[in-house]
Amino acid sequence: MTHYAMVIDLNTCVGCNACMAACAMENQTPVWKGSWRTYVHEKEIGTSEMVRRRFFPRLCNHCDNPPCLTVCPTGATYKRPDGIVMVNPERCMGCRACAMACPYDARYEVTYDDIKTGKEFYGELQRTSPSMDKCSFCAHRLDRGLKPACVETCVGSARQFGDLDDPSDPVTQMVASGVAQPLMPHLGTRPNVYYIDDMKRKG
Amino acid sequence: MDTMTYTTQSIWTWWIAMYLFFGGLGAATLSVSFLTDMYCRPHRKLVLWGALSGVVMLAISSAVLFAHLLHHVAVIYVLNPLVLFYQPHAWIAWGTQFILWMMVWGMLYALPYMRETPLFLRMPLVGTILQMRFVAWLSGCCLKRRRIVGWLATVNGIGTTVYTGLLIQSFPAVALWHNPGVPLLFTVSAFSTAFAYLLLLLNIFIPDENDQDIRHRYERMDVILIATELVILFSFFNYTLSGSESGYRSAQLLWNDMGWLVGFIGFGLLVPFFLELKGVIKGWGSRLPTVAAALLVLMGGYMLRHYFMYAGVYAYPW
Repeated sequence: MTHYAMVIDLNTCVGCNACMAACAMENQTPVWKGSWRTYVHEKEIGTSEMVRRRFFPRLCNHCDNPPCLTVCPTGATYKRPDGIVMVNPERCMGCRACAMACPYDARYEVTYDDIKTGKEFYGELQRTSPSMDKCSFCAHRLDRGLKPACVETCVGSARQFGDLDDPSDPVTQMVASGVAQPLMPHLGTRPNVYYIDDMKRKG
Repeated sequence: MDTMTYTTQSIWTWWIAMYLFFGGLGAATLSVSFLTDMYCRPHRKLVLWGALSGVVMLAISSAVLFAHLLHHVAVIYVLNPLVLFYQPHAWIAWGTQFILWMMVWGMLYALPYMRETPLFLRMPLVGTILQMRFVAWLSGCCLKRRRIVGWLATVNGIGTTVYTGLLIQSFPAVALWHNPGVPLLFTVSAFSTAFAYLLLLLNIFIPDENDQDIRHRYERMDVILIATELVILFSFFNYTLSGSESGYRSAQLLWNDMGWLVGFIGFGLLVPFFLELKGVIKGWGSRLPTVAAALLVLMGGYMLRHYFMYAGVYAYPW
């Protein structure tokens, strides 16, 4: 069985935002209102000579125990056998409970207006109904044997994608070694996006 | 990764506070008026006013949520009762069903009384419907099985009030919401506001000297519920003071806000508590203090939910 996961190395992310652009084009996200499936946060850390800038990419963590799925009243949010948490836009009524439940701020809304704007912005829009939206690990690309768009485009190889059920996969080894850690594991969400910390490295 | 960002949300705001307030108030109003009718004494006016205004409140609550949905057609999935089988873990699914069935049982309980009331029989469309043979038969069945219908409504009503708390308890990232105290607090508050609302009805819209015992009982219950609410809020205050940064920041937001402190705790709880306490112990010479207390409790009920939605703090690790 496949169990997809992503490792993000904060030491090698240079904040070029190419992942955001690639994702937006691939998934036709409503970027005109600042909504992205993946977003790179910038933060200045430290003071005076020790100050440095840190880039922090975030996206849906495709949790094994996803609170967004638990609260979804229509069943629009579901989990594939390979661990990817998906949203069925036709079934989503857009109550936004999933966005409230997500501890990783991964969800945003797509409205009727966004669909109208999206048709002008992207030319042809795949989506026909409004719903909540989020990263799908580019499931449509994975099904064709490709990597997610953000991973494919990352210039610093900060994003690595793999199968946790394959012991020889570098992603599995990084996770098993403990060098890559999930965000807020105390919440019990069992995320499948792991981060390699940059805090020990001086700027 | 230990540099955190703390922020409140702007997704569920005043309109969810309205949804929770009217949902809890409407459901508890129906439950209390039916229980009074079943176990104190039959009270046609109380049931009619309680049932009809309760259903209207539940309708307002549902309409507020519905208006804010992104994809209105997809609401059909939660209106289907089978949703409880395929999404039993989603509280909105339970809440929708509770509210829906609460309205059905509420109207059925009130039906025999409606058929006895000339005002309804004289109404153009309503009168015609009430005099239909099927409706007469249905009314007869409801009268025969009065307690069953009443308890079905009451169970759905209690379910709705508990649901309003369980809904926001299901968001694990926010310490203020994700704890067992929230459903308890919202249930107690919903019933407190319902007693206050029914006191308003009994003092202003359907005043009757023979109802003094019911008014006294409601006032006594409201005093107990307000006291319980104050105890729960005090334990919330202690809980949020330490344990998690998210909770601590929520505590700072709430307890440094004059609207919460003076508006809700002061005028929404303490003032009506003392007004009603005096009413219970010594009584008042006029109805004004009881009416004022009831209005303040209703205002406090909304403020509690409003502030709770705005004070939930998310902790993001970026």
